[in-house]
Amino acid sequence: MPSTDRRRFLSSAVLGGTAVAGATALGSLAPETAFAAPRIDLDPGARDPNFAEGRITAISGSLLKVSGSDKALHRVYVTHGTSVWKLRPTTFDEIKVGDGLYARGVKMPDGALAADAVWVNIVNLDAAITAIDSGRLHLDHHGNKVVGHVVTGTTAAVYNHTPAISDLSGLQVGKHVKVIGAWRPDTNEVDIATVYAGI
Amino acid sequence: MGCSNSGAPAYGEMSWFCCGAAWGPCGSAGGGACGTCNSSSHQCAWPNASDACFNITRPDQCGEGLARRTCGHVFYVTSQCSGSCVSVSIADCGPDTNSFCGERTCCGSACASNRLIDLTPSAYSAIASLSTGLSPVRIDS
Repeated sequence: MPSTDRRRFLSSAVLGGTAVAGATALGSLAPETAFAAPRIDLDPGARDPNFAEGRITAISGSLLKVSGSDKALHRVYVTHGTSVWKLRPTTFDEIKVGDGLYARGVKMPDGALAADAVWVNIVNLDAAITAIDSGRLHLDHHGNKVVGHVVTGTTAAVYNHTPAISDLSGLQVGKHVKVIGAWRPDTNEVDIATVYAGI
Repeated sequence: MGCSNSGAPAYGEMSWFCCGAAWGPCGSAGGGACGTCNSSSHQCAWPNASDACFNITRPDQCGEGLARRTCGHVFYVTSQCSGSCVSVSIADCGPDTNSFCGERTCCGSACASNRLIDLTPSAYSAIASLSTGLSPVRIDS
């Protein structure tokens, strides 16, 4: 099924209240499928109606109630066709009240978003390494201290286009890095998914 | 002009950044150099948005001759991975190109070097997964 048709199907399935059963047969949307959609014709600079961000205030069935950072309220449906990321690709049951979220999907007539993808607590930090100790990177992120936790089996390093590897020994204090990770809500700590560093 | 339609495109890495009202470590990001930046809008940061910006990012030190483009200028950014395109307007200064000179990102056989543009989460997620962090792109004016 073409990706656009899949997305329409998810939307209609949610509207019909059969999202979970209906979407299961199709499998989840892989990122390469979700982002192979046609060009989005939206005025540059305009707010994207098919995107939501904020903190999760309630979870009701497959519905996430989200309070946007700009005070907007969002309702986001997660179906079995939604790709969920929280430090790694994961499942709906890992999503908790209080988590931060970015979601992309299809806006339905009632204003809710049928999500193609949700990224939970994801952060993208450009930072300098100020210290390294056992299992942690201490980071300066635009003048703010952030502690990055190494997660065994998950955290990987990419040294200038090398394949991602678990060996972090190439990281150096004083060097700039980019960190993709998952924020620990209401702290200055993140779990590190990938750290990109020069060599 | 539109996606993949200009005579002198730039090829490089894109990443994403948050701005405006936000949660987590992004909470202090603010409205960016142009004062209008918002994570939910299709916007970008450009390394040569002003003299002051250029003196920080210094893409020339990585061999990148990027044109001066100021707040509100529109780019068309095409993912070399998905082929999808999004239009974005400049709302901030960045990325810090010279901190990562020579860095290279590939998607199959399509590769690009040097960080040339950062997109807001809404724009980046329209053409790539946020979890990728870096992606090779073509940039048209």
